[in-house]
Amino acid sequence: GVAPLGPVSLSKSCYYQLAMLDAAAHHQIYPSDSQRLRLYLPATRYQSPSYYPQTVLPHSDTAEFFHRLSTETLFFIFYFMEGTKAQYLAAKALKKQSWRFHTKYMMWFQRHEEPKSITDEYEQGTYIYFDYDKWGQRKKEGFTFEYRYLEDRDLN
Amino acid sequence: TSSASSNLLQQRETPEGDPPGLVERTEKLLREWVGIHQSGQTAKMFPIFVQQMTVHGILKTDDLVTRFFRLSTEMCVESCYRLLATQPNGPNSLELRTKCYETLDAFTMLIVLLIKNSGSSSSTNLTPEPAAKINLLSKILSIIANVAIKDQETRRAEFQHLAYYRILILLFIELNLSPPMLGLPTQGFNNFNQMTANDVFADNVQLQVLYEFSKTLRLLKPSRVPSFAFAWLDFLSHRLFVEKCLSGQPANRPSGNILKGWALYAQLLIDLIKFEAPFLRNVELPPSVDLLYKGTLKMFLVLLHDFPEFLCEYCYSLCDVIPCNAIQLRNLVLSAFPRKMRLPDPFTPNLKIDQLPEMSQPPKTSALQNNLISTVTFKDELDSFLKTRSPVSFLNNLVGYLRAQSNQIALSLGGSKMNSLNVPLLNALVLYVGQSAISSIQPRPISLTNIAGTTQMDIFQHLATKLDTEGRYLFLNAIANQLRYPNSHTHYFSSALLYLFAVAPSEQIQEQITRVLVERLIIMRPHPWGLLVTFIELIKNPIFKFWKHEFVRCAPEIEKLFESVARSCCVQNT
Repeated sequence: GVAPLGPVSLSKSCYYQLAMLDAAAHHQIYPSDSQRLRLYLPATRYQSPSYYPQTVLPHSDTAEFFHRLSTETLFFIFYFMEGTKAQYLAAKALKKQSWRFHTKYMMWFQRHEEPKSITDEYEQGTYIYFDYDKWGQRKKEGFTFEYRYLEDRDLN
Repeated sequence: TSSASSNLLQQRETPEGDPPGLVERTEKLLREWVGIHQSGQTAKMFPIFVQQMTVHGILKTDDLVTRFFRLSTEMCVESCYRLLATQPNGPNSLELRTKCYETLDAFTMLIVLLIKNSGSSSSTNLTPEPAAKINLLSKILSIIANVAIKDQETRRAEFQHLAYYRILILLFIELNLSPPMLGLPTQGFNNFNQMTANDVFADNVQLQVLYEFSKTLRLLKPSRVPSFAFAWLDFLSHRLFVEKCLSGQPANRPSGNILKGWALYAQLLIDLIKFEAPFLRNVELPPSVDLLYKGTLKMFLVLLHDFPEFLCEYCYSLCDVIPCNAIQLRNLVLSAFPRKMRLPDPFTPNLKIDQLPEMSQPPKTSALQNNLISTVTFKDELDSFLKTRSPVSFLNNLVGYLRAQSNQIALSLGGSKMNSLNVPLLNALVLYVGQSAISSIQPRPISLTNIAGTTQMDIFQHLATKLDTEGRYLFLNAIANQLRYPNSHTHYFSSALLYLFAVAPSEQIQEQITRVLVERLIIMRPHPWGLLVTFIELIKNPIFKFWKHEFVRCAPEIEKLFESVARSCCVQNT
């Protein structure tokens, strides 16, 4: 660096500020300090080798990208990244693949076949659902999907 | 640490003293609330908890409420220190931090809910009264800031930002994002997501929230709480804070409000640069300042990319505080130009810059730009000299005026008498004289012939010859600060600088002009458009006989440097 006007001697308060700043530089700021609490996937920092990707893929925050993910990935994002934009995009992608969210069981359902009966209040038939406890897809025959538990907000 | 906790005890025994038992009651309540928050019953249990607070007499008087928040803040802070002390930077530090978050988040949510439920905001009340909520917010923020300031004073190097930073930033996030903002019934909207930017009421409340937070940040500015500086910069560059301060479509918002957000943000940037300035001035940059400066540069890069109009409008106030040798930072500010504008490539051969229509338009100046010149004692003499070109004694006294004024200002700020010039005053003078020149020349075009022989040029020529090396350096920098995107100031000051070069009575002045220009061009991009245009004109136009000067060939590396600059300027498009 250059000091065109020559160095100036720092005042006493500057030296105090500098000492405090030096000390503060040792207390690093974690990205999580300024984020809402993440229960499952807290942001951890780790120095990975430089030949590994250091940043996420471009456009990985778009709906198109989420449509290309597997259903299981989408379920993972939905359950483990609560309250994030990723969760929102995952829900959108699942809905597009005809998955419907049941607000009582908090699970996603998909018609396995045309429902046996459909009324104004419910539909009944065989469904595939994703069990977050067992972490896998299950089939349920003769299940009644009550519409009052259907999450049908428009995700736009 | 034991000394820190004994300090805290001393703090609690403040002269006014907390009523007996209040500490215990506060602790009990806070513990209870953290439990409620962790069980996920926050919203449901809140009314019951408020009853608990009433039972304990916390809500009886304003004084007790204040004490409750102060004690709670101190307790949250204490609990973080205790947790972090066990393993400051160990492998489980994130786990420890997460434990801190639990307490801090619970406290923050309590604040959010108390603010949302304070004042009369019943659904029947059609004209909601946000004043009570804002008052409470203001009170709590200042309590937190004051606890932090005291903490810095007692703990000094042991100070940790975590508690204060997390409470403040989460509070800001929750108050801005969680629906509906501040719990205020929004007029005509039930759904926060549908609330549009032209909701004047919501806009005003949001501005008040911004104002309260920026007031708090100013209380905690780096020069006062240096240990908080990194977290402070992190807050300033938080995307939500930047967005709320700086963005907004002028068409949809009462335009005054955007400008107010801009002014708040500009003031914080000025605080930041003022803090860094004394360190940046010196050659040796301590690693911690270097780290903070890198962060500052990154943030300005974001501002340049996303909010160039903001930087355009506040460039004067920013340049007043950016030290001379922070060239990169200043170039970032001066390179900003309105997004709608298309800049012609300065390397285009035979570019006729004086034929660009933008070159006769003045740039927008900020509302914050306090015209320092109107406060100085020689203002009347300056005005009358600009009008009548007399008396000549004014010119002879000018340098003395500038020095006297700078000493007066230094003394009024409690500093010692200094012999260097007051940079903001010099900048203001140069801008003021330039503006007066432009208005006297127009509608005639700005050109080397039309600027020559004017009263204003008399002043500039006088300063260029009569100031000492340091003064002249500052003066030429003040001119170079005006070389930005195509506008009338850029045009005038570009011509003025070239004119000063052409008529300079000594080679020393020409060398300094060259130095000021080159110094800003040899570093990494961005380079302001007007600066490039001026320098290219200087080395290309034969009337300046640039290559005949000795300083161009004073050293082999300087000579090589000029040749490479010339190559990149002149051969680029062939």
